[in-house]
This record gives sequence, structure tokens and C-alpha cells, in this order.
Amino acid sequence: MGVLSSLLTSSIGRKILVALAGLLLCGFLIAHLGGNLLLIYGEGPFNRYAQGLEKNPLLPLAEVGLAGLFLAHIAVSLKLRHENRQARPASYAMQRSKGGRSWGSRTMLLSGLLLLSFLVVHVWHFRVQEHADGLYRAVMNAFQSKYYVLFYVAAMAALGLHLSHGFQSAFRTFGLSHPRLLPMIRKTGFAFSAAITVGFALLPLWACFWAKGPR
Amino acid sequence: MRFRLRIWRQKGAEGGRLVDYEIDGISPDVSFLEMLDVLNERLVSRGQEAVAFDSDCREGICGMCSLVINGQPHGPDRGMATCQLYMRRFKDGDVIVVEPFRARAFPPVKDLVVDRSALDRIIAAGGFISINTGSAPEANTVAVPKQNAERAMDSAACIGCGACVAACPNAAAMLFVGAKVSHLALLPQGGPERDRRVLAMRAQMDSEGFGNCTNETECEAACPKEIKMSNIARLNREYMRASLLAEDYTASKESA
Repeated sequence: MGVLSSLLTSSIGRKILVALAGLLLCGFLIAHLGGNLLLIYGEGPFNRYAQGLEKNPLLPLAEVGLAGLFLAHIAVSLKLRHENRQARPASYAMQRSKGGRSWGSRTMLLSGLLLLSFLVVHVWHFRVQEHADGLYRAVMNAFQSKYYVLFYVAAMAALGLHLSHGFQSAFRTFGLSHPRLLPMIRKTGFAFSAAITVGFALLPLWACFWAKGPR
Repeated sequence: MRFRLRIWRQKGAEGGRLVDYEIDGISPDVSFLEMLDVLNERLVSRGQEAVAFDSDCREGICGMCSLVINGQPHGPDRGMATCQLYMRRFKDGDVIVVEPFRARAFPPVKDLVVDRSALDRIIAAGGFISINTGSAPEANTVAVPKQNAERAMDSAACIGCGACVAACPNAAAMLFVGAKVSHLALLPQGGPERDRRVLAMRAQMDSEGFGNCTNETECEAACPKEIKMSNIARLNREYMRASLLAEDYTASKESA
């Protein structure tokens, strides 16, 4: 069996694929958050950044790559999940943790599906739709709705929960088991999850409650 | 002591339900399995069928006993098998739910007995060394680092009971396979067949219908021999190494 087919058919190979895509998506999150933070600097810098991105000839390529990562991460995860369900056809009448699972690990499917629904709305609203007044105004207007802000904040909380398990789990899947390094990776994962959640959730809250935007 | 037992009864491979039994006059110093023995004696004397369950050595080293007790494989305590669990661990009058290990790869046989030979088939696929090791070699002719000897010994402590599979939310067998791959991969005698072994055992594991590991770490918590999660990480490493670097393609073709 070749390396590629092993990656796509074996349990461990597909886990590695999910972990790899997940970690690469973490890299995307950092870049995305960096761009978002330009909102605070006002309409000019943010719109210049957004237009610069749109004009970049490499953007379609990057978008296809990004879509591929999302697709691989989601599709393979769901396939693995389906197999895991099948692996225990009769469930326990009573099941109690012996002390291993975390809230993050328990809710991976739920947080993942919430993120997927968020992703659809988010991409539709801010990427597919045209914004004649520039992206800055579109963003600031969207976040005048408290429900929309709530949806965003909830999705970012789900993202934090998802990352709190996913980040460290990915490193375990890559084979990391060093007695001192692994706890460090776990702590880094928690810090990263918290930073990403707070960073992304703060902007809609800021836009809704504090910003003196162009109304 | 008296207890209300809710025990899974199942005649054959299909069906089954929880049946309630009241039991009293149990000494706090009998083991969980001895308590079931007492129950069975009373059932048989009343002309009822005994509860089928697995056990053998009853001193925590054979891996034959199983049972999910109140939702936890091998009961509430860490680092012990069901046979090492004593009734003094429970309170008088407790309701105790007793179920079999549940996984597609462990088909039910009867009552609390399941067929765990899937684990044996994984071992048969590659969990061995083919050379005749002969008599004990001269000391220090084969150099083994102290840490590796210790780690290999820790991994080899796995008794193959299947509690990791029972505890895993995904019914994955990665801790078992990880331990079995690790204890040979860490020693020089396991070296020559290192790649072939992990590829073949992985393939057998998948074909038995176990789930996929999501690093929940429930297996480590349930393991009566306290096999560590690092064995799963080593299995991942060994598998990646063999997939990327193995030159012995015949082995990987066999397992495909």
C-alpha cells in the first residue's frame, strides 16, 4: 500500500490528515485575526488591507487551498466519526468517565458543526456578497444587530472549545509524547484557544458597543 | 452487606436486557467476582441459570476478567482489574449496574461474556518476533538503554483485557496496539521486523472494526495496568516511520 492511499484509508493516516489540516487552519486563524484587528485602526487602513487582498492575483489560489483544508478536515472527521459510531453498535446502559475526557473532547462534533454553520453564514455575508460601501462599513453595520453579535460570540466560544482539545490532540496524533514537551503543548493549546476566542469575539462586541463607527 | 445488582443478561449473540437481583449476606472482604459466584450459587440452587462471566487467575495478571461496573470498565478504581475489586469499595444497599465490554469488535457470547479474540488476531498479525531467541545471552552483549528497558517493560505489562476498548468513546484499540507495538519496538530484538509489524498490526486493527482514536485518554484511566497514552503516540510515530521509510514493500502489500 502506497503512502498516499495509506493516508486516506488507514485509521492512523486519516487522523494525521485531520490533524495536519487542523493545524494549518490554526495558522489561517492567526492571519485572519491579524487582518481583523485592523478594524480598530478605522475605515481607511482596514479597507486598504481588504482591497489589497482582493487585488492580489494569488488570492484565488489561496482560497482554493483554504477551502481544500476545510473540506479535508470536515469530511475526514465526519467519516471517522461515523466509523466510531459503528464501532459500538450497542451502547452502554450506564457510562461514567474514569477521568480522561474534557469538555472540549466531548463536544468536538457539536462545536465543529456549529462552526460549520457559522462558516457558511460568515463566508456568504463577508466574502460572496458585494459591499459597495467597502468592507469596513459592511462589518460595522452587521454588528449593530445584537443577535448577530451573539451568534458570532457563540461561534467563537465553540471555536475555543474545539481548539482546546484539537490543538493538543493533533500533536499527539503526530506522535508527540515527550513527558515535559506534551504538557507544554497542552498549555500552549489552551492559551492559543483563549487568545483566538477572545480576539475574534472582542471585535463584534467592540463594534456593537464601543466603536464610534460611521452610522 | 446487601446490594441490588442490575446485571445484563443475554442468551446468545442478540437481544439482552438488565435484570435486577437482590443479594444480601455478602462479606465486605469478598471480591466482586466472588460476590458474583455467591449470586450464581444461589441462582442455581433455585433452579435458575447462572450469570456467565469471564475470569481466570483472579489476581490481576491474566486479563481474562472484564465487566463494566456502574459505567466503568473494571469498576471505579484505577490500576486494577475487576478481580481485584472488593465489595468494601461499595456502600451497603448500593445499586450496581454490571454490563459487558461493548464494541463491534467484541461480539457478545452470553450474558457478560464477549469474544475478545480480535485482540489475539492483531497479535497474530505481527505482535511477535520470528527469530528463535535461544537461551539468555551473555550480559551486556546486546546493549539496551536503561530507560528503554523500563519503557518496554511498562508497555509489556498490558494483559490484553480490552478495557481500553470498552472505555474508549470510539471503541478504539489504539492503547492495546500501541502497547504491543511499543514493547517490541523499544528493544533491539524487535528491530528487524519493526516496520512490517506496525503496518500489519495496524491493518488487522482496522479490519477488526475498532474505532479511531481521538485522544480522549479514557483508555489510560481505565487500564488495569496503567498503560500510558505515550504508547499511542509511539504507535503513531512507528506507523508514520514505517509508511514513509519502509523499504520492505512486500510487508506493506500483505497488509493492504
